[in-house]
Amino acid sequence: MADHIEGSRNSCALHGTLAVVESIEGAVPVIHGTAGCGVQNYLGVTRLNPGSDPFGAPPISSSNIGEKHVVFGGGSRLREQLKNTVKVVRGDLYAVLSGCATEMVGDDIPAMAKEGREQGWPVIFANTPGFRGAVHQGYQLAVKALIEQLPDLGLAPVGAAAAGAVNVWGIIPRQDPFWRGNLEELGRLLEGIGLAPNLLFAQGEGVAAWQRVPGAVLNLAVSSWGELPARLLAERYGTPLLSAEGLPVGRAAGELLRRLARLLSLDPARVEAFIEQEERRLNAHLAGLADTYYRNGFQREYALVGESAQLAGLNDFLVGTLGLLPRLLIVTDNPPEQLREALAGRLAGQSPGRPPELAFSEDRAEIADLILAAAPELLLGSSLEAGVARQLGAPFLQVSFPAADRVLLSRGYAGYRGAATLLEDLGSAILAHAQAAAR
Amino acid sequence: MSFLKAKAPRSREKRLDTMSAWQGTASALAAELSAKAGVQRIRTFSQSSHDDLLYALRLLAGIRDSVTVVHAPRGCAAAGLYYQTGGVGGRIAVTNLDERDTIMGADLKLRRAVKALYHRYRPEVVFIVSSPVVAINNDDIQSVVEELHEELELSIVPVYVTGFASSNAVTGYDATLHALLKYLGGPRRDQEPGGKVNLLAVAEQRQDLREALRLLAALGAQANVLPDRASAGAFEEATSARFSIPLDRDTEDYLGASLRDKYGVPYVEAPRPIGLAATGRWLAALGAALGTEEEARKLHERETESAGSELGGFSLLGVRVYLSLGTAAAFGLLELVREFGGEVAGITVSHLDQLHCRRLQELAGRYPDLPVHVADGQPFEELSIIKRLAPDLYLGDSAHLGQVGRLGIAALSLENAPILGYRGLAWLARRISLALENRSFGAALAAIAPPYRQAWYRRSPNWHIKQEVK
Repeated sequence: MADHIEGSRNSCALHGTLAVVESIEGAVPVIHGTAGCGVQNYLGVTRLNPGSDPFGAPPISSSNIGEKHVVFGGGSRLREQLKNTVKVVRGDLYAVLSGCATEMVGDDIPAMAKEGREQGWPVIFANTPGFRGAVHQGYQLAVKALIEQLPDLGLAPVGAAAAGAVNVWGIIPRQDPFWRGNLEELGRLLEGIGLAPNLLFAQGEGVAAWQRVPGAVLNLAVSSWGELPARLLAERYGTPLLSAEGLPVGRAAGELLRRLARLLSLDPARVEAFIEQEERRLNAHLAGLADTYYRNGFQREYALVGESAQLAGLNDFLVGTLGLLPRLLIVTDNPPEQLREALAGRLAGQSPGRPPELAFSEDRAEIADLILAAAPELLLGSSLEAGVARQLGAPFLQVSFPAADRVLLSRGYAGYRGAATLLEDLGSAILAHAQAAAR
Repeated sequence: MSFLKAKAPRSREKRLDTMSAWQGTASALAAELSAKAGVQRIRTFSQSSHDDLLYALRLLAGIRDSVTVVHAPRGCAAAGLYYQTGGVGGRIAVTNLDERDTIMGADLKLRRAVKALYHRYRPEVVFIVSSPVVAINNDDIQSVVEELHEELELSIVPVYVTGFASSNAVTGYDATLHALLKYLGGPRRDQEPGGKVNLLAVAEQRQDLREALRLLAALGAQANVLPDRASAGAFEEATSARFSIPLDRDTEDYLGASLRDKYGVPYVEAPRPIGLAATGRWLAALGAALGTEEEARKLHERETESAGSELGGFSLLGVRVYLSLGTAAAFGLLELVREFGGEVAGITVSHLDQLHCRRLQELAGRYPDLPVHVADGQPFEELSIIKRLAPDLYLGDSAHLGQVGRLGIAALSLENAPILGYRGLAWLARRISLALENRSFGAALAAIAPPYRQAWYRRSPNWHIKQEVK
């Protein structure tokens, strides 16, 4: 197994932390590292998410250390940078994040954050050198720092969490290009059965939403990356957790709502009524699509490339509702070994016929080889797979990061509405491909 | 003297007194730069900005039939995904160093990566790019290069960048061009009298390259373009060319000067061909070097005439413009804005150094009070300056145009825009007219609060620029 990665789509730990902090209104990241750390994230992550610019945030406050700081230490430079960031940039919360160079030099990040707090500034920190892992580890480091450090900052109280508050974990902003749309739909579904979603990253959810985290009645993890914060909160506050085992798309959303209802003893009649109304609408869409589906031969063998939770959710809908045939599934987010078997089992269980080939890779070349060998009639992946789709002459839809050719604002594939959106996007890709071929 | 002996070139600061932080009037700046006091200024508050590693990646992504191995933790190759979307097929991989590697070193990982990628793609050349972690760790890249060069009979070019040794990202272009010529240039050869002309181009737009090639062809010259979209062979070919002509001397100076000093290839001094006058001077310099002065003059006349009819009545009379660009482009556009009757309210340039001394003296003579800001990124300073100057139009390659637009200023991004020669001018004129015609999008953005405190705007914009205490 090679160590190197070609065309890596998983960025680094620092960038995962930035995805979290930059997506919280009022939170200001302060990088203690080389000048390029923030720009790498801007070019390699933010720009490949058209429509996800945190307005006015980039370029990020960054200590931009020089040779002298590498030789003699950069602590005093960070002290100066933090002090001036608080003076220049408006914020409710400042997060000091370290890069590789300052970690290797041994700068004391926690001590500098503590100094800031002694000045009365709301400062948290996370040790986030890129060598600690990919964007997913960074997400977990940031969320952990927020959960552990926020309660001790002495921020102004924000009032109790709403009755039936549910924190939603596991969607990584920008690494899921549909993060906003997916969160909004999950929130709508939770509201539909009488719960109060705490989405943490969505519009209007600032630092206050994170202060309300301990007051939730449940922590919902929609990817395995969200299980760590949910477990952490179970330990600290005794809050129960529910793992959705994948992003719920279409009818899987109904199943998730039923599980929630059982766990929280909600009124079953109300829950069933909501689910029935949602399913009626989705069924009507399916009926509306039926003729087009058969006439254009939607039933195809496909390959799907994406992160484990999204991949499991999309695959479940494509197989279980739309009747397509999965031949190759490539998981790109490096789930821990112990989860791979469970994921394999779940994916195999979704297929009524031949079980799909399952692969784990984040190497662009290896992924391309696998797809070319499988020669699917339909490809769902990231824009890094666009060339392979052209080579195969197959219709292609961008569903995972980077979706560099798509402007994504409120679009998502989660839930019932997401299922309808997926039908629109996938169907349009198939029709456009057929028309182009006919010309 | 010899440019290419060392492992890497000296940083821009040391070589050309390059400055990355300054704010004041043109006359004060000219006085300071010509005093050559070598005073460096630093920022006590800064925002992230390009570094030498990023510029190396950007340049290498455009080399044909190459594989670039970034010897670093995974995030140092993140921007590679972005550069590759506009590249010509150079591949970028990262050795993915983990915590253990930062302590123990990771020569073996590098060796394995180079071998695996070589066997997969059989590229003409493999680049190895160092990184902050490797620079601090002192990983021995050089011995990997030498051993694998012999074992695989492959051109392997190490590019030594650090991310911290220079505060000017343009050092990364120097380091990369140094490495390319050092490893791919080969021994000194005789010039071929009727041979090709080196067209030096770093990170240029496709249309801009096409325009430059069109003008070269019109004067009967065959071009060897490098480093943009070049193959490894272009660097060897470059050493026997008739002469080199730059499109942007700021970024290409190291290459042009190295070819001149080590290989005896004449290096023609020419401005960045932006606007009619500068394009005319660029063409005249080219014509003089080719010995076709008369044809160059006639070509300029013809092109000026046809550009004139395409431009129609384009005018910037009464329009106050702010420019924020790479230095050579900013100076070029400054002249262009004047050509069309506009007024330049102020400029932000990425860096300034001894290459700009003469240009700055001229500028200070004509517009002593022109506000000049030296910064790569740093929108907090630029927005404060712009709020004071309240220009009508902003032309920039920066990443914060939304912040400018929301102030009611017409904004045009030149980052991915053709601006060179006669065709670039026509494109620019049309886009400027459209930007000035409708500013509704900026007005729609005004409802969103800006990120900086009111107190910051009351400070002098150079509040956080201080003289470095050694």
